[in-house]
Amino acid sequence: MNKRMLLALSAASLALSGCTGGGIGGFGLYSLVRPGRTVKVGNGALTVVTPREWNRTSRNGFTDIRYVEDWTLNGPYLDGISFISALPDNRRIIRQEYKADRQVPKFRSVMTPPEIAALIESLYRVEGGTVDWRTLNLAPRPFLGTNGFQLDFEHLDSDELWRKGRAVGAVIDGRLYMMLYDAARSHYYAAALPDFEAMVASARLRR
Amino acid sequence: MNAELSRRALLAGGGAAAAVLAAGPVGARIPPSSLQPLIGPGYRPTDADELGMWQQMQRVEEEVAGSNLLVKDEGLNRYLQGLIGKVGGPAARDMRIYLARIPDFNAVMFPTGFSVIFTGLLLRMRDEAQLAGVIAHESSHFLLKHQIRQWRDTKRRTDVLSFATMLGGMAGGAAGIYTGDLAQLAQLGTILTLLRYNRQLEAEADALGIKLIAGTGYDPLSMSETWGQLIGEVELSARVRRKRPDRGYSIFSTHPAPRERMIDLRQSAAELKVPGRSYDRGRERYLQAIGGIRPTLFDDQVKLNDAGATRYIVETLAKDGWNGQLRFTEGESLRLQNADALQDRAALSYAAAVAYPDAPADAWRWHGIFLMKAGRRDEGRAALQRYLALAPSAPDAPFVRQMLVS
Repeated sequence: MNKRMLLALSAASLALSGCTGGGIGGFGLYSLVRPGRTVKVGNGALTVVTPREWNRTSRNGFTDIRYVEDWTLNGPYLDGISFISALPDNRRIIRQEYKADRQVPKFRSVMTPPEIAALIESLYRVEGGTVDWRTLNLAPRPFLGTNGFQLDFEHLDSDELWRKGRAVGAVIDGRLYMMLYDAARSHYYAAALPDFEAMVASARLRR
Repeated sequence: MNAELSRRALLAGGGAAAAVLAAGPVGARIPPSSLQPLIGPGYRPTDADELGMWQQMQRVEEEVAGSNLLVKDEGLNRYLQGLIGKVGGPAARDMRIYLARIPDFNAVMFPTGFSVIFTGLLLRMRDEAQLAGVIAHESSHFLLKHQIRQWRDTKRRTDVLSFATMLGGMAGGAAGIYTGDLAQLAQLGTILTLLRYNRQLEAEADALGIKLIAGTGYDPLSMSETWGQLIGEVELSARVRRKRPDRGYSIFSTHPAPRERMIDLRQSAAELKVPGRSYDRGRERYLQAIGGIRPTLFDDQVKLNDAGATRYIVETLAKDGWNGQLRFTEGESLRLQNADALQDRAALSYAAAVAYPDAPADAWRWHGIFLMKAGRRDEGRAALQRYLALAPSAPDAPFVRQMLVS
């Protein structure tokens, strides 16, 4: 997970003072992803095909981790997809100061889906300023040809906006593969959900 | 600056020294008997600067009152309003109280007599006497007109902060301009940093506050206990992360010098306690009032994965007796730390939690999952079945059902 996407939630009000979404870093942050082509995401272990143009957030070796890549359609305050590809045991899905008071749990190969769901919840609470979290559904779902899971959730963030999300993932050979969709609950979630579902269906392992 | 003063200022400790010097008497405890409220019922300002402040604050209150971060629980809000009505001194009937869903240990009083209490505070209080102490302290800021006094003092000394800037900042905070660090606090954070009092004013609010709660029959010792709990929590949180306590973060940024204040409050309590009189703690009443949201309060805290803080809170509350909720929270905190050595301890906590009649349904789920992971599949299945029986429509029920058949 890119810190910028989460900071977008807790700092959403910056947008009011004229700073464009995702522009917190200040320079060339996005590149276009073309529809209908097979695209490598994260560290390259996962490929997807998008049905329309999305914006890929550029990554920075100091603040981001190479297993995670973020895309957005309308800017990170409104919607985004994080691709987590082949995250190994004992690693976090976001870079954090190792002495931070509040920490996102590390991913462990032995984690069950309820534990991964709790990890996602902590991610939003610790790094996203989420004050109210509701798990809507956790159910089995095939992903990348194996037994995976689907988590649906919604959360109220400190910018007082309700957001809604869906994670589809699986642990394969001890590594976490997951696609995490999160968007403003009114309008935006429903608007880009078909894109997300198409990408989930198109997702392939690249060995 | 005379020599005596500077030596004492040095003793009071580095960074705070400058502010303390400007604030007058240093390090001296204020005897509760020396303070009287400066305002009575139905107070309205007459001076131009204070009138301006009130006008701006009405806008801030409108923003706060409409925030969807507020906890809507009617009974609980009535209870809090009742409590401020009891310990709020002469202006008790004029004060308003809002409960915000923020998992931090803090509370704040605005210049016009409305207060915002954080849910994190309710989680940490052991009984009504402790909560009454915090509310009385915040009320005292209003009763002693601290906001306007601090403003006038600041203006006289430096003239750096203009009144307009300060109020603009507050109104801006309410309207949603985010500044920096206090990610969890969002808009309220901006307001909070502006409502920071110097140590002299905090000491006054402590002295009047403790007098108010002792006068209404609450154990005055509760106020120094609260400070002791706050210090203990910050220290354990830092120790678990192997670092020094961060004084700039959270409540210490708005409430300086906690240790000195704890000691002063203990002394004041001894002074105020009348031998032979019995003092109320109100633990049962308190637990009943927050009962509806208490599981949520624990959940909000534990999911932040601040292991030391959560452990301190759990162990402090457990001084009044362990129960299923506390053992479950302990297990959650251990599980989220995700260290191999702690997973077994988490399993033990879940096992202990389900032995209590008040164990939350979630305790049964995690108990079951940990048993399954340990290879005790039959026992694990039984625990998960118990979970589904207790929470048949739980959002993760489809997944748990699959675990049962696989």
